[in-house]
Amino acid sequence: MRQNALEVSELWVSFEKGSKAFHALRGISFSLEKGQTLSLVGESGSGKTTATRASLGLIAPTKGKVTLLGVDINNCSKDKLIETRRRCGYISQNPYDSIPPTLTTLDAVAEPLVICKGLNKKTARERAKEMLSVCGIVDEVVLNGRVKFSLSGGQKQRVALARALVTDPEIIFADEPTSMQDASNRGDILDILQEYVKKGSSLVLTTHDLYLAAAATEHSIILFHGKIMEAGPSKEILKKPLHFYTKALLDALPGLGKKIKKPSLKQGEPEYRLSGCPFLTRCPRGIDKCSKTCPPIKEVSPGHFVACWLL
Amino acid sequence: MIHIQRLSVSYKTERGQVPALKNINLSIPKGTATAIVGESGSGKSTLLHSIMRLLPPEAELSGKIMFEGMDITSMDDAALRSFRWRKCSLVLQGAMSSFNPVLSIGKQIAETVAYHLHLSSKGSYKRAEELLEMVGLPTFFSKRFPHELSGGQKQRAAIAMALACSPPCILADEPTTALDVITQAEIVWLLKEITRKNNMTLCMVTHDLPLALSVCDRVAVMHRGEIVEIQTPSGILNNPTHPHTKKLVESIRSIEERGNPK
Ligand SMILES: Nc1ncnc2c1ncn2[C@@H]1O[C@H](COP(=O)(O)OP(=O)(O)OP(=O)(O)O)[C@@H](O)[C@H]1O
Ligand SMILES: Nc1ncnc2c1ncn2[C@@H]1O[C@H](COP(=O)(O)OP(=O)(O)O)[C@@H](O)[C@H]1O
Ligand code: SF4
Ligand SMILES: [Mg+2]
Ligand SMILES: [Mg+2]
Repeated sequence: MRQNALEVSELWVSFEKGSKAFHALRGISFSLEKGQTLSLVGESGSGKTTATRASLGLIAPTKGKVTLLGVDINNCSKDKLIETRRRCGYISQNPYDSIPPTLTTLDAVAEPLVICKGLNKKTARERAKEMLSVCGIVDEVVLNGRVKFSLSGGQKQRVALARALVTDPEIIFADEPTSMQDASNRGDILDILQEYVKKGSSLVLTTHDLYLAAAATEHSIILFHGKIMEAGPSKEILKKPLHFYTKALLDALPGLGKKIKKPSLKQGEPEYRLSGCPFLTRCPRGIDKCSKTCPPIKEVSPGHFVACWLL
Repeated sequence: MIHIQRLSVSYKTERGQVPALKNINLSIPKGTATAIVGESGSGKSTLLHSIMRLLPPEAELSGKIMFEGMDITSMDDAALRSFRWRKCSLVLQGAMSSFNPVLSIGKQIAETVAYHLHLSSKGSYKRAEELLEMVGLPTFFSKRFPHELSGGQKQRAAIAMALACSPPCILADEPTTALDVITQAEIVWLLKEITRKNNMTLCMVTHDLPLALSVCDRVAVMHRGEIVEIQTPSGILNNPTHPHTKKLVESIRSIEERGNPK
């Protein structure tokens, strides 16, 4: 058996909201073999970023266990955690907070090479320059300007990508890495990530775009309000989504030659259900049972899982 | 309905004049839905703001913008007052900021109605509730404050506001950018159905080409301050003429086909 790059089991993450606990993730489990690729798909607030950050040990789980690159990251020394994190590449959703704003663009990318790989400054800068050029940043003014002043959102996101990849990480976490890119650049970002996957990196991508998920990763997990609704091979999910939520996501996504359908979901407050099926308030088909018990996730065809009483 | 002739706009900055629109010619026929598609900074918002006469003072404009035979660029204040809201209204990029945070939604819509249609306060409040229903919000939402609405609900309320004086023309600047995909689909369907049912003209700005192709009859592609192509959705898809449009269509197609090979 191949070694797992990431194992997440029964992960709960809760935040304090006012006086109440708010559960951003409610018992999600998945694993990723070395070299495999996975997308976490869902709308905003579904828990994608929380899952990414908890996988990296940047948020402590309320319950459950995360094993990253073979290390139980919530039960290890601080040094071990830091050492493990250095083997990972992380492109955060908001590139504004993942790049030190006072460094020059070139140094922002050279820094991890000095810290994680022990390169000297000169070699690190040369390597950083190559990496930035791969990511489409070549302008000398931009390279030598301070990150804070001289970059557009899209450029910052590409600098964050260069900074995450420059150390040849064993696993890459990319949280909506194309969100600030113009449509004509999105393919380039996927190509760059694909290069690293070819070289052996594992990839965890987050997106709300099922096309992007299918183009970039073998497997997809569809999240809604912190729970897994459907999971399976990305291309199969795109061709034949099973869960009512996945179907609604796909119907709403415009494509070339694929007009969006009029959404048939129930209107109402995006109420957060603690018992029963989390999707019930919006589901076009909910039955009595759905309000009482949460449907378990079950395998409906090899490797394809779904959580719904009607499937 | 709208004829734009040789419109150029530039902004005065420390680094000199920065051109934002270069010699734009565009006709928007009555009752159609036109999309203006372009990447960030291509000039889409500047174009809509020119039509609404909402450009900041540092902007310099030349050319003509005819609306039902009148030149908007030379309207006086009185003419502008009866043009905005009553003839043409704008749904803003990020409607979050277009509401006053300390007034209820119903009050804000009612105030606009009362001011422009000279209705009594009771009559205008009733009209506000009608408008909220039209955009799929329950009437009790009129008592809610902007922060009590989700992003999609706020965008619906912004559309209700735009419809307040039943203008024949609605402009929308990225009305769905900050929204989730399903909410986005709900909002564009709402805009499309309301404008079609009432035979209104719609002009929607977006950076999302597939979305534009999905909801509009005609698509204008902007690139670096110019309109480089105007076609029907099937024309854009099957016979894009400008290199920029070709590249855009190709790169979107390549992602779709990678995930869904033929
Ligand atoms: N007030 C201003 N002062 C100076 N330059 C401006 C001003 N407003 C816009 N610009 C410039 O004009 C050009 C067009 O801007 P505009 O806001 O119309 O673009 P857009 O297509 O709406 O972009 P986005 O998709 O990011 O909203 C850009 O280069 C922008 O930087
Ligand atoms: N630090 C935090 N404190 C409180 N609530 C949070 C925090 N981070 C995320 N949340 C909440 O958890 C839920 C999931 O958020 P997130 O993981 O960012 O979703 P996504 O990335 O899918 O948009 C949201 O309801 C969000 O408001
Ligand atoms: S379990 Fe019930 S509420 Fe949930 S998706 Fe299935 S039918 Fe809908
Ligand atoms: Mg997120
Ligand atoms: Mg704009």
